[in-house]
Amino acid sequence: MANGQILAGFLAPHPPHLVYAENPAANEPRAKGGWEQLRWAYERARRSLEALQPDVLLVHSPHWITQQGHHFLGVKHLSGKSVDPIFPNLFRYSFDLEVDLELAEACCEEAAELGLTTKMMRNPKFRVDYGTITTLHMMRPQWDIPVVGLSANNSPYYLTTEEGLEEMDILGKATARAIERTGRRAVLLASNTLCHYHFSEEPVPPEDMSREHPQSYEGYLWDMRMIDLLRQGKTQQVFEILPQFIEEAFAEVKSGAFTWMFAAMGYPEIPGELHGYGTVIGTGNAVMEWNLVRAGLAEAA
Amino acid sequence: MAIVAAFLVPGSPLPYVKRDNPSWGSLAEAMEAAGEALAAAKPDTIVVYSTQWIAVLDQLWQTRPHVEGVHVDENWHEYGDLPFDIRIDTELAQAAMDEATARGIRSKGVDYDEFPVDTGTIVGTAFLNTGNERPLVITSNNLYHDWDMTKTIGAAAAAAADDLGRNIAVVGIGGLSGSVFRHGIDPEQDRLASEQDDAWNRKILGLMETGDADALEDLVPDYAREARVDMGFKHLAFLLGALSGGFQGALVHGYGPLYGSGGAVVELRL
Repeated sequence: MANGQILAGFLAPHPPHLVYAENPAANEPRAKGGWEQLRWAYERARRSLEALQPDVLLVHSPHWITQQGHHFLGVKHLSGKSVDPIFPNLFRYSFDLEVDLELAEACCEEAAELGLTTKMMRNPKFRVDYGTITTLHMMRPQWDIPVVGLSANNSPYYLTTEEGLEEMDILGKATARAIERTGRRAVLLASNTLCHYHFSEEPVPPEDMSREHPQSYEGYLWDMRMIDLLRQGKTQQVFEILPQFIEEAFAEVKSGAFTWMFAAMGYPEIPGELHGYGTVIGTGNAVMEWNLVRAGLAEAA
Repeated sequence: MAIVAAFLVPGSPLPYVKRDNPSWGSLAEAMEAAGEALAAAKPDTIVVYSTQWIAVLDQLWQTRPHVEGVHVDENWHEYGDLPFDIRIDTELAQAAMDEATARGIRSKGVDYDEFPVDTGTIVGTAFLNTGNERPLVITSNNLYHDWDMTKTIGAAAAAAADDLGRNIAVVGIGGLSGSVFRHGIDPEQDRLASEQDDAWNRKILGLMETGDADALEDLVPDYAREARVDMGFKHLAFLLGALSGGFQGALVHGYGPLYGSGGAVVELRL
């Protein structure tokens, strides 16, 4: 099997509030709704994902932080209860997922081949982080597509932002090579918020939407500027100003998922489809899609 | 006085899960010595601040009476599991929360099945709470709390213990210099990432040994910046807050590298 391809990439942020507000059986707390614009955005993204019929979902999460290298989930079946350490009142989710081990190992090998330090995570008791789980739930609540989970090496924080994102660029290119080599039809999920300034107090109840708005006007303006460029397909321009955006909007894309995804896709200059934008405790979140099949850069099933 | 012992210890899992490596093994032995010293002080409760329990919205305190389970470290998962079985002094935890809130630090309890207890807390208390004899109070590292706020949290915990008539040991769990080797090394060749970091760590440990808390506090901003100290050394701020700033000296049970970063097991003399 060879000639795999990336079908699409999604910017798929992970506020656990979205899972909480949806009230799935897998999550213990109950809500009276909230954050509808973002949840409806994810509904649109889910329909698009369904049409793509991928073999595998790859997700890069900023809440699996590693210091020595880039790690990959390396156990075929992982299950347990994920409790968000920041919002345990909102997210206590029983998960059960299958890992595409062949692709995960290929990603690990290709990244090492390109000079990155890499490691497979082989401990069956490992608890998958809530960022990975939230993004996967919001994109595919059926949990019927195998997964490759990638850690966020802390290089953008430990080194300079630019040096760290260079590593993510290499990781993305290695991911693309692994997908091609293994013949997978893959969808990439970048689990990142945009502007990450947030409120320091939680409303009661948390889903009180009368209290929800951007924490920072400047951050909001930055988000709109970036989304506008992405909707126009001005990818190169986006990456030219990405460090400034990260610095001035405290953007979570610093952790690398966004760069990883675009590097894997080859930084296509195609318009991103905005499924929706909304704030969660003041942070800016966009659900966006770059559909390479629709753009003629990948083949339909 | 409510505080009968005080310790600063590293939160890295390496001495616990891989003590057959000589440098990490010597830190494990130091941790065991600290555990013996803590037991000899006979505290009713051990009050723990760990840099690895990250909070964002409020100051979080563990309030579940009994927390147990198995944790796997996010970075060192290949070295095995970290089982834990922790009893919480819920009365003191609640009192500390109330006291911290009264002092302007918004606090919240967490009482949830399978709440993720951090590596530092598990490893530190596994060594220090010998025989798992004593209940704990565990609190978090809010990323937005600065040095003075963290001192306030330590002071609040000590005041709450005093009010309840508890004798407590206070433990700050975290590292010294924070530069690490980002790529694989032979563990037997582990060393401090730089001579500058090593010099800084030794200078700070020397000040602890003299008991000069004021000089120590004066130097911390430079030390934290130049040696990339774990979370700005807030685990020391917690201890100084609990001790009202003062201690007589220190016994350094051990000091060494943890994949390039610095770790020390320090018993503050009261």
